[in-house]
Amino acid sequence: MKLLKSCVRDFRNIGSFLVEFWIVTRKILFNRQTWNEVFIIIGLAVVLGLVSNLGLIKRFLAGEFRQAFISQEKFRGLVFISLSEAEDLWFNQQAVFIDSRSREEYDLGHIPGAISVPLEEVKRGNQKFLESVQPDRTFVIYCQGGDCQTSLNLGKILYHKGFKNLKIFSGGWAEWAAAGKPVEK
Amino acid sequence: MRKMLRNKYFLLLLRLIVGGVFIWAAVTKIADPLTFAQDVRNYRLVGQTLSFLTALILPWIELIAGICLIIGVFPRSSALLISGLLTFFILLVAITIIRGIDVECGCFGTLSRKADLWLILEDSVWLTMSLILLFSPANDFSLLRKKNQSLS
Repeated sequence: MKLLKSCVRDFRNIGSFLVEFWIVTRKILFNRQTWNEVFIIIGLAVVLGLVSNLGLIKRFLAGEFRQAFISQEKFRGLVFISLSEAEDLWFNQQAVFIDSRSREEYDLGHIPGAISVPLEEVKRGNQKFLESVQPDRTFVIYCQGGDCQTSLNLGKILYHKGFKNLKIFSGGWAEWAAAGKPVEK
Repeated sequence: MRKMLRNKYFLLLLRLIVGGVFIWAAVTKIADPLTFAQDVRNYRLVGQTLSFLTALILPWIELIAGICLIIGVFPRSSALLISGLLTFFILLVAITIIRGIDVECGCFGTLSRKADLWLILEDSVWLTMSLILLFSPANDFSLLRKKNQSLS
């Protein structure tokens, strides 16, 4: 009986808390002034954000940053290449190919001769790859293709480590394999 | 506990903490919009144009909301905005983890860390503080609010 009474009291407390909570929530969310203030903050942010970045907006409208948000002043030498350019470099052996996908994806199939350098491993501090290559060579980095960003992110890390001649093959593995180019497993 | 949640000094401390974190996060992003745009793009939820626009505007929303919360201009609306943003960030990180995408959170510019469960936990702490500020009737210190507009 005592337990039942205490349960009823608890339910009453929870009930009154929920009622109080609902009243306060209604006062906030169904209040026109609250939303007006929210829109004032957002509106001011839109104006300040656009006005303070007019230079960047101009460059974006001119076609810059369409493949990646990197500034050419900051990453001189890091460029994007198409399938045909990647193919030329591969056939003429003019570049070292780097696969930035995971080891599992690499093992399922990769561009012949490509070195596996998973982005996660580099981020975790695995420097093995950096010690085994000459940074002054030309490197082509690729990932899965489509929406993947690991090739670019690896490119940025390598750039800061002294690799200045980096090419990102944005079509990646998907485009290479779909075009029927040589593959290695 | 209830008494503490209605204590004006405790609420002021929360406002300084939450507002301060948002101002700091905003400043690191405003200083380098391109890096933040790439961070947004790395989540692979929106394309180049939307990532770019988000990177230009979102940090300013964080900055203004943070300043408003601290100085007491629209304190409840800025707490509402901050709570909404934090809820969105938590959902975004959760979806990213489920999709198996390994990204930097982009929360504090170059000082960002991995978007993982710890980040969800950290954001949940900020969200709890922000919700206290949103719902506490005592959070009525405002430079603009008239007395009759208080919740209590």
